Amino acid sequence: MEVFSIYAIELENIWKVFPGNVQANCDITLRIGEGEVHGLLGENGAGKTTLMNVLYGLLSRTSGTVKIRGKEVNFKSPQDAIRLGIGMVHQHFKLIPIMTVTENVVLGAEPLYANLTANLKYWRPSINPALPTNFRSAEKKILRIAEENGLQIDPYAKIQDLSVGLQQRVELIKILYRDADILILDEPTAVLTPQEVDELFETLETFRKEGKTIILITHKLREPMTICDRITVLRRGELVGTVKRVDTSREQLAEMMVGRPVVFRVAKTPAKPTDTVLSVENLHVQDDRGLPAVRDISFEVKRGEILGLAGVHGNGQDELVEAIWGLRKVHHGEIYIEGERVTKYRPRKMRATGVGYIPQDRQKQGLILDFTTKENLILGGQHEPPFATGPRGFLLNALDITNYSNILVKDFDIRLRDIDEPISTLSGGNQQKVVAARAIGPNPKLLLASHPTRGLDVGATEYIHNVLIRMRDQGVAIFLISADLDEIRNVSDRIAVIFKGELVAIRTPEETDERELGLLMAGEQRAIPSEELTQ
Amino acid sequence: MTDSSKDLESEMGGSPPKTMDGSMTTFLGSMWEQITGFFKWHNLRRSLIQVGWAIMSIILALLVASLIMLGTGFNPIVAFSTLIGGALLQPDIIFWWATPLILTGLSVALAFRAGLFNIGAEGQLYMGSMAAAIVGFMAMLPIFVHPLLALLIGAVVGGLWAFVPAILKAYRGAHEVVTTMMMTYIAVPYFTTWLAAGPLRDPTLIQPQPQTPAIWPTAYLPELFGSFYLHFGFIIGILCVIGVWILLKNTVLGYEMRAVGLNEPAAEAAGINPKKMIVISLFLSGCLAGLGGAVEILGYYHRFYAGWSRGLGFDGITVAVLGANSPMGVLLGAIFFGFLRAGAIPMQTVGRVPAEMIDVIQGLVVLFVAAPKIVEWLAKREISWAQWIRKEPMKSLPIFLGSLFALIGSMILLAMAASMFGTLMVLDLIPDLPTLILTDPYMAMHVATLSLAIIFGVIGLYVFYALLRLEKRAIWAFLPLSIVLIILGVVNTLIFGGSLLIPLLVIGILGFVFAIWSYIVVVRQGVIFGGEF
Repeated sequence: MEVFSIYAIELENIWKVFPGNVQANCDITLRIGEGEVHGLLGENGAGKTTLMNVLYGLLSRTSGTVKIRGKEVNFKSPQDAIRLGIGMVHQHFKLIPIMTVTENVVLGAEPLYANLTANLKYWRPSINPALPTNFRSAEKKILRIAEENGLQIDPYAKIQDLSVGLQQRVELIKILYRDADILILDEPTAVLTPQEVDELFETLETFRKEGKTIILITHKLREPMTICDRITVLRRGELVGTVKRVDTSREQLAEMMVGRPVVFRVAKTPAKPTDTVLSVENLHVQDDRGLPAVRDISFEVKRGEILGLAGVHGNGQDELVEAIWGLRKVHHGEIYIEGERVTKYRPRKMRATGVGYIPQDRQKQGLILDFTTKENLILGGQHEPPFATGPRGFLLNALDITNYSNILVKDFDIRLRDIDEPISTLSGGNQQKVVAARAIGPNPKLLLASHPTRGLDVGATEYIHNVLIRMRDQGVAIFLISADLDEIRNVSDRIAVIFKGELVAIRTPEETDERELGLLMAGEQRAIPSEELTQ
Repeated sequence: MTDSSKDLESEMGGSPPKTMDGSMTTFLGSMWEQITGFFKWHNLRRSLIQVGWAIMSIILALLVASLIMLGTGFNPIVAFSTLIGGALLQPDIIFWWATPLILTGLSVALAFRAGLFNIGAEGQLYMGSMAAAIVGFMAMLPIFVHPLLALLIGAVVGGLWAFVPAILKAYRGAHEVVTTMMMTYIAVPYFTTWLAAGPLRDPTLIQPQPQTPAIWPTAYLPELFGSFYLHFGFIIGILCVIGVWILLKNTVLGYEMRAVGLNEPAAEAAGINPKKMIVISLFLSGCLAGLGGAVEILGYYHRFYAGWSRGLGFDGITVAVLGANSPMGVLLGAIFFGFLRAGAIPMQTVGRVPAEMIDVIQGLVVLFVAAPKIVEWLAKREISWAQWIRKEPMKSLPIFLGSLFALIGSMILLAMAASMFGTLMVLDLIPDLPTLILTDPYMAMHVATLSLAIIFGVIGLYVFYALLRLEKRAIWAFLPLSIVLIILGVVNTLIFGGSLLIPLLVIGILGFVFAIWSYIVVVRQGVIFGGEF
């Protein structure tokens, strides 16, 4: 694996500058060998997806050279890249939910019956779309590809009926259908359970044995260390270095990504939980379609502890936290905060009772992007003193709002130019700090944190985790929901697992390991249900 | 949650916010911050950009209007000079026209800011004006009380007229565009007209007219500057501009309205009640429109005439769009439209250009102002071509506009061919065609033009289709197409006495420009469509 005789891909001095002098890629030179599994690592905004988009022909490069198998190329669109055998699976799948697997796979490369327009080469692109499609041959080819690569799939299934792991399989089949032998995978494991990740990596091993070249884009550290031959780290648009897996470690990679040594396990003293703050009893909640999303869940969170709820997206955790916060009606069951029955309380009253909420999607539910940072920091509390003043609290007290905002910005180290500028100008990490600051500012007794570090880089994640630990040490009860097992295991004092709306286990981090948690999250293993309530 | 002084001290390590006493001082402090905040660079920049857009749209609209005038035989220079001169000579009429527009503009803009489309300002305007007229003629009341009461009731009635759509939207999700429009249909041609022609008709008239009795003079709004037209309603309009500005920027209610308008899920998650906000916002919006109607009756008309407002409510929508939904913008936009209207009569009487040109100009201004906003709205909804226009306007616009022009051009050519063919059929010349072509040069010309028109009409259709697929051969066909358009335009008018010269000339020349531009963009630079969105 030392020297590669043929470089499959050579990127030389690639620059990509967006309007407004945004330098997404600065002078990047990267050579990837034939048959190599190469990891492209970096935080959000480091430029890895941009670089691959340039390679794939989705973006034009500002300057530099791209060579495929030694020949210089100039892609005008992904069609050119596909023709040379490059395939890309994106982070957000480009699938049409109501169409079948076959229809999605052939989209853009529909096979025709006979080459009816063979002699009209010049006019073919115009006429071909109007001719009938030969799905039969497509199905046969799909089944053949599935067999050869161990990617079982039903060609007639509709995408919307498939699990996320299977949908990703369709994306892989899509690029194999076009005879790709250079595969670019963008954050492929973001939405997979641990088991599905293992299956994916097995598939990638199969590809490697077939001699395909694979580029894996990720920001998670363990993946490149599992499967890649070499790893390239990007930071802020620049190439920090390329190392061989055998020569490096997670710590070194993290330091290259962030620019300083990174602590993985948050230093925390053992929890000293005291009285119960949140008590949920036999809760039943329905989802938007009226189907049960939370089925008979009971648990407690005590003052001074962090209860982490692990589960794959879509198993009821979002509905659960929305019901506690008051955004969603409780169908059955009770919720108590320090003995006070808060089941029917709406968000405004929950906030007044001493609960803080960090919503799961900061852009959709957490922040109002067109509002200034100042306005976002008081969102939820704008109707109360000190922010409201005048007769019947009608007027906004701009001076106190500004004071409060400045204090929070300082305490949470929020990097921005001006608190009066729209919050859309802040980075994702700083935006999340605003959401957290807003929830924590009023000193809540209970903090509901839903996916608080989603989409954040290592540095921002570390910061938020430290904030959570600090709050815990000051006696706040924290209910943490996350799909990131590492986060749950790092931060929580107790871990609960939710599967299809039911609480399948509660453990301490010492009692369990990632494998068991992964199985529980996938519903494989039913543990003894929650007599561990009173732990 | 009132122990705010203790809340932040030790945990956050900073000094707690001190609640200042004296709400007036804090309020004035807030106002001062707002005013100084306006001059901060990024705010200033945003306002300047919006003003710049508005001015650009106006200029573009005037240019296109000039083309239309030229095409229909009017002289744009005469038109504009009489328009501007006529308006400037009657400044009081400008502000008189602007008065109801300020209020309806504020009404629509306020609703927009809360995320609602109040299309029914016209109906609320009518109901408010009818209510004010009723209070005006019903009884004689003391001199300050009478108009104030009439205005108040007019505003409230306007608000109530928006209340039904508000409830329907908040609790049933009925789209307010439909419901407010329907309420307008009830109010304008039916309810108020019936009232004015029936139970509330002025009995003192010899010939029955659909109008109410005149209001008592105690209800009049005083005139300003001795003008026959301009009245105190203008001052009320300005006060409302200031009021709406304070509401939006400095009050809790305004904050909550804006929050719901910008991101309802986030506002709801933070504890704001969106239903309450929807109802209050539409109610206030209706009040403003009703007030707009009320001031006109009390200040100028002095009685309710059925159909007195020819679209003031809908013009309010235009004003709100032009003013980018901000109170100051609405004021400026209303004055601009007042200006146009004031100049319309002189333009017609002195310049002999029909006053309807004003409507054309108004419509074009809206088109140019709204088009980029529509594109942005579509882009947010992930429509890929809209996102492309947003990202690379210089590359995408010649493609889309060129395609459009090719389509229009080909339609005209095919129509021309059809009519020429029709002439041949009517004159029964077809059987003798071959001989005629050889003998009569005029006939030869006719048939040649006809054939060219058919061929290039079809080519135009192909260009329209293929250009949207970014095929290079479409561009290579586009260039000759535009040239042919120009030639045939000339031929049609100069030789056959048609009237297609100007339209084909315009389309041909613009098409030529787009063709060259598309060539540079697609062939030379290489377009990447469907990139990273």
